[in-house]
This record gives sequence, C-alpha cells and structure tokens, in this order.
Amino acid sequence: MPDTQALVNDFLNKLKKRKIEGSQATAKQTAELLRSVISQTRMPYTNQAAALIHSVKAVGERLIAANPVELAVGNVVRRVLHIIREEDLSLTAAAMAGLNLSAESDDEDDTDRDNHPALSAAAIAAASRSTLRPPSLQTLLEDVPDSAAVPHTSSSGGDSEGKSKSADKSSRSRKLKHDVIEAVNELIQDISTCHELIAEQAVEHIHQNEVILTLGSSRTVLEFLCAAKEKKRSFRVFVAEGAPRYQGHLLAKELVTRGLQTTLITDSAVFAMISRVNMVIVGAHAVMANGGVIAPVGLNMVALAAQKHAVPFVVLAGSHKLCPLYPHHPEVLLNELRSPSELLDFGEFSDCLDFGSGIGAPLLHVVNPTFDYVPPKLVSLFITDTGGHNPSYMYRLIADYYSADDLVLERRTTSGN
Amino acid sequence: MWWRSASFILDRQQEQNTSFPPNPESLLLSSPPPSMADSLQNPKPDISAYYQTRAAHHAVVTSDWLAQAQAAVSLQTNDDVSPGSDGRVATTGGGTGGDNKTFSVIDEFNSWRKQPDLAEAVAAIRALAAVIRASQATTMMELEIELKKASDSLKAWDTTSISLTAGCDLFMRYVTRTSALEYEDFKSARYRLIERAEKFGEISCKARRIIAMLSQDFIFDGCTILVHGFSRVVLEVLKTAAQNKKHFRVFCTEGRPDRTGLRLSNELAKLDVPVKLLIDSAVAYTMDEVDMVLVGADGVVESGGIINMMGTYQIALVSHSMNKPVYVAAESYKFARLYPLDQKDMGPALRTIDFGVPIPSKVEVEKSARDYTPPQYLTLLFTDLGVLTPSVVSDELIQLYL
Repeated sequence: MPDTQALVNDFLNKLKKRKIEGSQATAKQTAELLRSVISQTRMPYTNQAAALIHSVKAVGERLIAANPVELAVGNVVRRVLHIIREEDLSLTAAAMAGLNLSAESDDEDDTDRDNHPALSAAAIAAASRSTLRPPSLQTLLEDVPDSAAVPHTSSSGGDSEGKSKSADKSSRSRKLKHDVIEAVNELIQDISTCHELIAEQAVEHIHQNEVILTLGSSRTVLEFLCAAKEKKRSFRVFVAEGAPRYQGHLLAKELVTRGLQTTLITDSAVFAMISRVNMVIVGAHAVMANGGVIAPVGLNMVALAAQKHAVPFVVLAGSHKLCPLYPHHPEVLLNELRSPSELLDFGEFSDCLDFGSGIGAPLLHVVNPTFDYVPPKLVSLFITDTGGHNPSYMYRLIADYYSADDLVLERRTTSGN
Repeated sequence: MWWRSASFILDRQQEQNTSFPPNPESLLLSSPPPSMADSLQNPKPDISAYYQTRAAHHAVVTSDWLAQAQAAVSLQTNDDVSPGSDGRVATTGGGTGGDNKTFSVIDEFNSWRKQPDLAEAVAAIRALAAVIRASQATTMMELEIELKKASDSLKAWDTTSISLTAGCDLFMRYVTRTSALEYEDFKSARYRLIERAEKFGEISCKARRIIAMLSQDFIFDGCTILVHGFSRVVLEVLKTAAQNKKHFRVFCTEGRPDRTGLRLSNELAKLDVPVKLLIDSAVAYTMDEVDMVLVGADGVVESGGIINMMGTYQIALVSHSMNKPVYVAAESYKFARLYPLDQKDMGPALRTIDFGVPIPSKVEVEKSARDYTPPQYLTLLFTDLGVLTPSVVSDELIQLYL
C-alpha cells in the first residue's frame, strides 16, 4: 500500500506542477497508476467490485482535482471504472449461470435460490445487462434495474454454501482483479497505439496534390501526414507556427525531414492562405460530449476561416480524449493561463510590469491562454481510432466508453472545484 | 390543410358553403370512422382537445375575460367553457357524449387527463392499464389485440396530442416486445403490466427530477433565461435551480392566447425568482439580454426537432440568429415517431382564440396551437436519458421501434 501511495503523490505533484505535457502521456501514466492501485487493493470477500471502484474513485478524485483542466485524467479514471463494472458484470453473469446449473443438479441446500423461482436466469441476466447500459427509451418501462439485488443474491448464495464453495469464491476474487488488470493493460495499449490507428485512415482523407493546413504541433497530425506520404500521396502542407510557443516550427522541421513539401506561415496569415487550402487537419486537447473541441489556442480562428471558405475542418483525436462532460463556459473554466514569459521578455518589459513603480498595479497585463473552444458546428469531421465521425455522433462513442453512473458522480466533484 | 395556389380561397369558400350546416352525418362521412368497437367520435373534431386541456390546466384567465366568456356562453348556449372555481376555466371535455354502456378507454383517459399534475402520457398509460383490468382476455394474444384496439381508439380520439400517441406506442411496445414477459404465465404477466402502468406516474415524476438535476450545470449564476409558455418540466428545472441557491433571472413570454406565461411567472414569483413578463412580440427586443432560451416540448420528433406551443419556432429563430443557446426540457416518453417536413406537415391542432373584440367573419384567423422547431435551431435536449444533442433522438427511437 505505501508504495502506491508514494506513486500517487508523485503523480499528483507532477500534475499540479504541470510537468506532464500532452494528453496522451497523461492518459497513459494515469492508466498505469490506476493499474498499480488496483493490483495493490486488498480484496474483501463480498462486493469486490465495489471495493475496487471505491479505491479507484478515491485516487481518481484527487488526480482530477490536481489538474481539472487536463480532461484526459478524468477520462481514463472513468474508463477504468467502466472496465471494473463491465468485468464484474460478466463474471456475475457467468457465476449466475453456473449456480443455476448446480441448483438443478443438487437442490437440497440451495434453499435461498428456490425462493425466487419466478426470476429465471435469463431474466436476471437481462436486468443486470440493463444496469450498465445507459438509460434508454427501451428500458423506460421495464423494471427499475435492481442493481442491489444482483450482487446480493450471488453473495448470499456464497454464504450459505459454506466451505465447499469458498475455494471457488477466492478464485473468483482473483479472477475479477486479474480480468480488470488485463483490461486496463488493453486500455494502455490502446492509448499508446491510437496514433497508428488514426494514421491508417490517412489515405482515405488526403488526396493527390491537395493542400493541407495545420496549426501548431500534434504528434497525431504528424503521424497522419506521414502515413499519407508513405502511401505515395504527394501533397503540400501549410503549417501555421502556433504562437506563442511556436511548436509549428518543430512540426515543419519534422515534416521536411520526412520529405513532405512544407510551407510555414504565421498565424495571422491563415485567413489569407485558407482559400488555397483543401482541408484543415488539426489535433485536439479534448473532445467534449456535444462535439465541441478544446484545442490549442488559435484554432477557433482557423475553424472560422475554414467555415468562411467552406474548407473541411478535420479534428484528429484518440479515444482517450473523448470527455463525457458538457462544456460550460469552456473559454474560462477549461482553460489555463500560461506564463507571460512565452509572450515577452521580462528584461525588456520589466519597467511596465514593475509592481514597485509606485502606482501599485502594473499597467501592462499579459494574458496567455492555452486553449480555444471550437464549437461543434465548426467541425466537419472527427477522426478517432474507430473511424470518422460526425460531431453529433460523439455522444454515441461516449456511451460505449463510459458508464452513466460515473459521469454524474465525477461531474459533481469536478464542478465543486 | 394547405394550398399550393391562390385558388385555395375559392376552395375555402366552397368548403364553407358545403359544410356550413353542421349536421353530424356529413361530419362522420368526411372523416374516416375508426374501426374499433367503442369508436367514440370526438364531438368537436376541429378543436384540439390536447391544447384545450393544457389551456384549462395552465392558462390564467382575467376576470374581465371571464365575464366576456360567460356572456358569450349564455348568448350562444354553448357549454364549451364554464368558469372554474378558482378563476380558471375547466373544460367539460365532451367525453360523456356517448352512452355509458360498460367501459370506455376514452372516458377513462379523459378522467385522468383532467388532473392537472398528471402528464398526458401517464394518463394514456393509466387508461390502457384500466383496459387490462377490465378485460376478460385469457391469453396474451387476446389482451394484445384488445389493447391495440383501445390504443388506436385513444389515438383517433385526439390526434393532436403527441404525448398521447407516444405514450400509447411506448406501452404497446412494452407489451409486445418485452423479453421479461415471455418467461411468465399469463396471470403474472398481466399483473406485471398493470403494475408497470401504475408505476408510470412515478417514472414520469422521476423523469422530471432527473431532468432538473441534469440541467443544473447549465444554469449558471447571473444568467437570464427566456421561457416560453408553461411547462411543468421547465418549472421543475427552475425550481430546483432556485433551491440550489442559483442567482438567475427569468423572462416569461405571455404565451397568448392561453396566457400560460402568466401562470409560470406567478409560480416563479412564489419562489422569489426575479421574473419579467414580456409580450410575445418582445422576444427579439429582449434577446440581447438573454443568456439562454429554455422551453418545454409537447413532442420531440424523429428529426430531433420539437413540436411546441405556437411561438417557439420564432423564438428559436431569433435566438439562433443572435447566437444564444436554445435548450429543450422534455421527458423521453414524449419522443414520437413523426417526421414533419415543414410547419403544415402535421395535422392542424386548432383552438379558439379570443381577440377581445369581435372579428368580422371575412377575416381569417390562424388558429393553429403549435409549431414545429427544426433541430438545427436547438442546442441541446435535457431528457431523463441524459443531455442529448438533437440527432440522438432519432437514434433512440430507431433502437426502440426497429
């Protein structure tokens, strides 16, 4: 236990000091941390899933609080919670089927199971399946899913059956943990390979002799463009430099070394160049549930320019960037103000910034926001590791990745911050 | 009813001439008679019963209007409206027109419908539950056929009520397709159906609470909300926000001709929410102060658009052009399998409009009670299934009825 505690604190510190750059690295490290938390959690005999969920949630809440702007942390925490719920459910269903089979063969000591003859195994399985599904019209009239009843019946069955089944029980507990860790490993794998999955689709979107515009630097975009290049597509890339961090310079350099025709432009030249562009391809910081994008600063301007000239605005995002929350005042609440030193030199402007000049407050203010919010109507297409999607389809992917219970609970904690 | 060319004026006149003596035979002939046993003909097919009920429940009637109405009633010996005890108008509904032989779904439905706190779909499902209770069926198939008949006659009784249709469809789908029912014998299945139908009232109330909870994140301190008409869900949302100590201001449109906005403003004033009444035509004038538009819905259609009280469409248009979000609060049982292509695509839901002064008979009056707001003007839907974009609605409906 203490070593995971140290790991958690270390990671918390890094998050707080904004030492980790990029949502992919953050997502991966969060998943790895949660994996070690899960493996260190001591499993009780009953209600193991709840114990796991509890410990993951406890760590997760602290992680989210450490950097509420880095939405990838919350996304991964929710994904892991969803994984636990799913694995538990599949195990319960399997155990249920096994119990019922044994009840048919020897029903002398399984008295408590005989109390519910009306509830067939299939009905229980159907009910428990509906607990994980997001609420839908289909289940509106059906029984309110008695989620409490399902684990209860399984545990009471375990209690009454005494010693003969306890060995089976402990193997089940190990199995749950094992399955969860296996699934988390898969998640980590997914996060680290999402670039390749997205890049595979590049040839479908980039055509011969097209002109592509991008702003700033994103590894996903780099891989995407290079993948198209490798498939013998020849096209031009305009790179807007992405002030104030000028990561576009790095991207342009990288593209040139990979043999792509590259043109570097200033951010302010985007509108002048957009009429020559066939497609805008950019990366994202996070994708919200309504299809809005939290992206590096300057992209809203690019999106507006693209809309003006009816140029498709394509956003590349790995599935760990899909956030199940709706943006409320994203320009303020989901933004981060970076150091003014990126904009100007302290030495040169120290007089203006000086607090001790007698007036009290500095005359010159520097605001350096990190992110822009691009509303969903400006986005033409999202390319994720599962394929291309319309902004209005994002909710569907989110329903697949997260369970509804976690959204509400986490949302309350995040809005509290 | 709409006409492609100017010849509609001629058509209109002819139509009026032919159907001027309103004898019941021609009425019955002109509209196809429903094919069920207890086919009760709606005595006033040209006036939407749904909107009449809504008006009866939520409208505010001033005393002078009441006096006028009373005078009109005594003049025309028309027992359409009678003054309610608390200054509101209670409709007689007209459901008791048929002979009270044994049991009628429509009477049952109308009696449930009179309760102002009960949602339309809940009334429909309760009425269908009463059908199950009264039925002599011994097999599931028989029961299904009986229910089908009953729900068809209910739907034919008031074609203007979308939640009635949606409620009937939802319950019928539950009866025919629920896998849980297959494992039970007829008696317990029947019992289960009745129990679910009884519970539906709770589900509806719970849905409102869920919607109120979900929408709290969208109401921020210091915001101004424009509300159109009276909607129980919207009231619940605002009530919850007020209980959560949010500071916000509400603009209520008047909601002519029922003046349902007055009722809403009364309710909000009771909660100490700052509220301002607007006439319906002042929406564009005040829109720059508004942060969001929040409306209820009579029905949510498959395109993701909504059918709501007249005036919603123009409010949505104004807010769209001024870049303000339009939020819709609606329970998921209002999702209906309709796909209106334009405003006149729906069957007309007419209602009487009082202008305060006599209108010459040559002047036509637009009596439609509702309009259709296309999905591109809506930002988000708050439903008990979660906060949804308009395109999700069709997804949900396809999943349900595929």
